[in-house]
Amino acid sequence: MTTFTALLSHYRRHPWQGAALALLMLLATTLWTGIHHLTSEARASLGQSERAVEARHQVQRIDGAVLTVEDFVSLRRQGLCLMPWLEVLPEGESRRVIGVDPLAALCFQRQGDVASFDGQPLRGDPFLDIADAAALPARQSQLFLIVAPNTGVLPEAYRITSFSLAPDTGQLGDSFLLNLDALSVLVLLITGLLLRSVYLLSLSQRRDSFALLNRFGVPVRRVRWHLVAELVCLALLTLIPGILLGQLLANGLAGGFASVMEGLFDSRQFATSGNNWLVPTVVMMALLLLVCAADWLIPDKLRKASVFVIRSGLLALLFIVVGTGGVWLAPNLLWLFVSVALGLAGAGLLMPWCLSALSSRMSRASHQPLRRWWWAEFGVLCRRLALPLVALQLALAMVLAVQALVTTFEATFDHWLGQRLSADYYLEVPTGADAEIAAHWLTQNLPATSGARWHRVLRGQGRIGLDSQSRSVDVFALAPVGSLVTEWDLIEQTEQPWQQLAAGHGVMLNEQLAYRQGLAAGDQIQLELAGQSMSVPVLGIYPDYGRPAGEVLMAGDLLPDDFSVAFESFSISPGSVGIETITEALAGIWQQPALTLRDNRSIRDLANRVFDQTFMLTRAMTLLTLALAAVALLLMGWVFLATRLWYFRLLEVWGLERAAIFLRLLTLALAVSLSAAVLALPVGVGLTWVLVQRINPLAFGWSLPMELYPGFWLELLALALVIGVCIALLMRRQLGRPAVRPSVTGTVTGEER
Amino acid sequence: MTEMLLTVRGLRKSFGSDESAVPVLAELAFKLPAGGSLALMGRSGSGKSTLLNILCGLERPEAGELILFGQDYRRADWQQLRRERIGVVFQEANLMPTLSLLDNVRLRAALAGQPQSRGQHWLDTLDIGELAQRFPDQVSGGQRQRAALAMVFAMAPALILADEPTGSLDRVTADDVADSLFRLQAETGCGLILATHDPELASRCQRTLDLAHRAVDRDAGPPLP
Ligand SMILES: Nc1ncnc2c1ncn2[C@@H]1O[C@H](COP(=O)(O)OP(=O)(O)OP(=O)(O)O)[C@@H](O)[C@H]1O
Ligand SMILES: [Mg+2]
Repeated sequence: MTTFTALLSHYRRHPWQGAALALLMLLATTLWTGIHHLTSEARASLGQSERAVEARHQVQRIDGAVLTVEDFVSLRRQGLCLMPWLEVLPEGESRRVIGVDPLAALCFQRQGDVASFDGQPLRGDPFLDIADAAALPARQSQLFLIVAPNTGVLPEAYRITSFSLAPDTGQLGDSFLLNLDALSVLVLLITGLLLRSVYLLSLSQRRDSFALLNRFGVPVRRVRWHLVAELVCLALLTLIPGILLGQLLANGLAGGFASVMEGLFDSRQFATSGNNWLVPTVVMMALLLLVCAADWLIPDKLRKASVFVIRSGLLALLFIVVGTGGVWLAPNLLWLFVSVALGLAGAGLLMPWCLSALSSRMSRASHQPLRRWWWAEFGVLCRRLALPLVALQLALAMVLAVQALVTTFEATFDHWLGQRLSADYYLEVPTGADAEIAAHWLTQNLPATSGARWHRVLRGQGRIGLDSQSRSVDVFALAPVGSLVTEWDLIEQTEQPWQQLAAGHGVMLNEQLAYRQGLAAGDQIQLELAGQSMSVPVLGIYPDYGRPAGEVLMAGDLLPDDFSVAFESFSISPGSVGIETITEALAGIWQQPALTLRDNRSIRDLANRVFDQTFMLTRAMTLLTLALAAVALLLMGWVFLATRLWYFRLLEVWGLERAAIFLRLLTLALAVSLSAAVLALPVGVGLTWVLVQRINPLAFGWSLPMELYPGFWLELLALALVIGVCIALLMRRQLGRPAVRPSVTGTVTGEER
Repeated sequence: MTEMLLTVRGLRKSFGSDESAVPVLAELAFKLPAGGSLALMGRSGSGKSTLLNILCGLERPEAGELILFGQDYRRADWQQLRRERIGVVFQEANLMPTLSLLDNVRLRAALAGQPQSRGQHWLDTLDIGELAQRFPDQVSGGQRQRAALAMVFAMAPALILADEPTGSLDRVTADDVADSLFRLQAETGCGLILATHDPELASRCQRTLDLAHRAVDRDAGPPLP
């Protein structure tokens, strides 16, 4: 039997410890790989396709209409060097492919343009031949025309703009990914704590065998190398299934994720190639070695000194102060996350210190010996379970903050949606139908006395800003500006904004646009519609949680006559008239057999679905982590208390009733688990504030009110209660069994205290 | 006639289920007068600890008679007896590791309804008064056993059950601890039953009961050739 097998025999005697380590590793790897897979693919999708169009330009129609093959043909005939770029979202897929024409790209090369698709395999990750792309059954497809620089003079109806894949909202999408990254780092931290706690437990149980090996002449260094080898084996065993499961998880979430990235951030997701296993392998391996073998990697002297500092609680306070200051002042997301990490580390260090200080103070203060014993025992539990306790505390805080954010968002979003959808029905104007006649009919036939309200919405494209920095925005023109919109909450406004808007004396902007352009109510902006430029004041800023694209809201009268309307609809609350009367009349006017009518509820459902998907990933991650931390504390609490079974039996020998002993056990277990939950509350509230007031504006472009949900706190406290009760119940089964006298080593080294 | 602390007759105990039951104690009989001392001897596994467990109510006998302080064991309030009248000392781990020696003694006294203020007195009596504020891991094994004795005497017991109380100590220390035990037993006049492998220690008791020969072996018949 070699030293190695002798060491491994520990796990044969304590199979659950090996299993717990392996399970923790597996879950951590799965979670982290899954998230990493999603975010890195989203980034790769952007990077890969963006490289191909780096510093390129595209042709657009001045009237804002969508380009067609006819445009391509006519421009090509005029001798312009153009490359068609067809983005297709195939049926049943969540990510797009790009059809390109390598032959058309040849003229780019002649002009000294380096990047081309010559020699690059067109396999659909994301590029493929335009003929194949056009042949795909598509859910959506859009044609762009990329033009070589200095290509010559364009016809009147076209202009050249820069071409990038997500120019306006790319940063927001990036921030969303960064948010997920930060969350996954937090998850990594928590699972790291759990791994360490289980591993330290197994180490402490093996101390006797290490001492024995030492006495047999095996040097300490050799034992350590064997332990490292053991960890590497464990990692190899768990990494492969973990990474596979992580990719499965990523695939399961990919659909929702892609639709969030596209729907919420206008960041089109393209198919990418390549498997991502190297980074997770390295990261998880490093995590395991770091948390388990850190004690040998750090020199003894330094460790003793740092332990002293940590015990003193000063370092914890320092971390918290610096972290809080950093959160306040951080100029960007990265610094913000670093500050948050510092603050959380401080909170994690402070908790064991606080509980330890509390227990020794209370123990000293109580004159009743049994109570003194209880407090002393509580102190030991807190010290010995510090790692899983901190993990649970952080997990609880994280869940609390995410829950508050999501609930606040849900409530705000719902309120906002309610205002936005104040009309009962939405009626799309069919292509080719004349909305003017319909509007005329509505004016004639819906008298004010009927209580009916309606307006017509014209959508199209415009640009704001001056020539070089101008950016494209969505234009929403309302006619008439009526009570369906005048009840909207505005974030900022000038005097009588709606009257001014109705009179055509200005426009309103959505929050995202105002936030990114640094615009406020009262500012003057340059607006370009159908090639005509005008200067108008900003009358108000309205919240928009749905889309990050810039929006401009205005009265219909302000639109130039040749404005190209991309989409038109009516919002109608029929009042006493009845919607059937209206639809029948309009169908008659437009000579359409049926009209697309959507009611409020279906739109709300759709919006809520998008909403749920946005946070599904976040919620799933936090809840899984919480479950992990809860189970870990449960197991560790049980195992640790079981090592103290002898002392509970001693109480029985001294004449205490079983029930009385169980009561003490129960109160101890409850006190420990509830402490974690109670101390998680301030951390969670702080984290909520950081999320809604700091991270959200930086990451998503909008801020939320700070709301607290004490009802949810109670749920978390109840969870802690359940953990405590479960530990006590597991222990009760053991109280009836004979207790093993603790080993002499434990008594002598003072590790029981 | 002297009053009997303890009368045992026909006591039987085995472990395991009916078929595979391993008899540990069989037809055991002895008496302990007030203030008397009895040593239990026998090789490992002969049932010394089992008997002590039965005598303090932590295990139930299968059959036989056990009269403790003039009362049948079936009617005894064992919790109260252990709390106030029967002191138990094990080979080690008799103290709560999280409490100082003094707090351990006070805890034991408080459970027995004795004044806590006498805690220091008992530590002094056992020559470890100056270690009162130390924790169990900060003192030697012999000092821990002294503290364990201080705890037992602080409860003013009528009967002390000691399971190899000096089993993990060296000769000199063991003798010192035993000296203290017998001296205080004589002073307080309580009964003492002591399980030990040490013939010298056993010889200091008034009587010796050898379980190996009385119980299992006799009933199991002659040893196989
Ligand atoms: N809970 C139990 N379940 C099953 N068998 C038991 C149990 N407790 C004790 N035994 C068995 O009963 C026998 C007597 O055990 P006991 O501990 O009383 O011996 P002992 O005389 O105290 O031995 P030692 O001198 O080694 O302490 C042993 O064979 C032991 O294996
Ligand atoms: Mg024994």
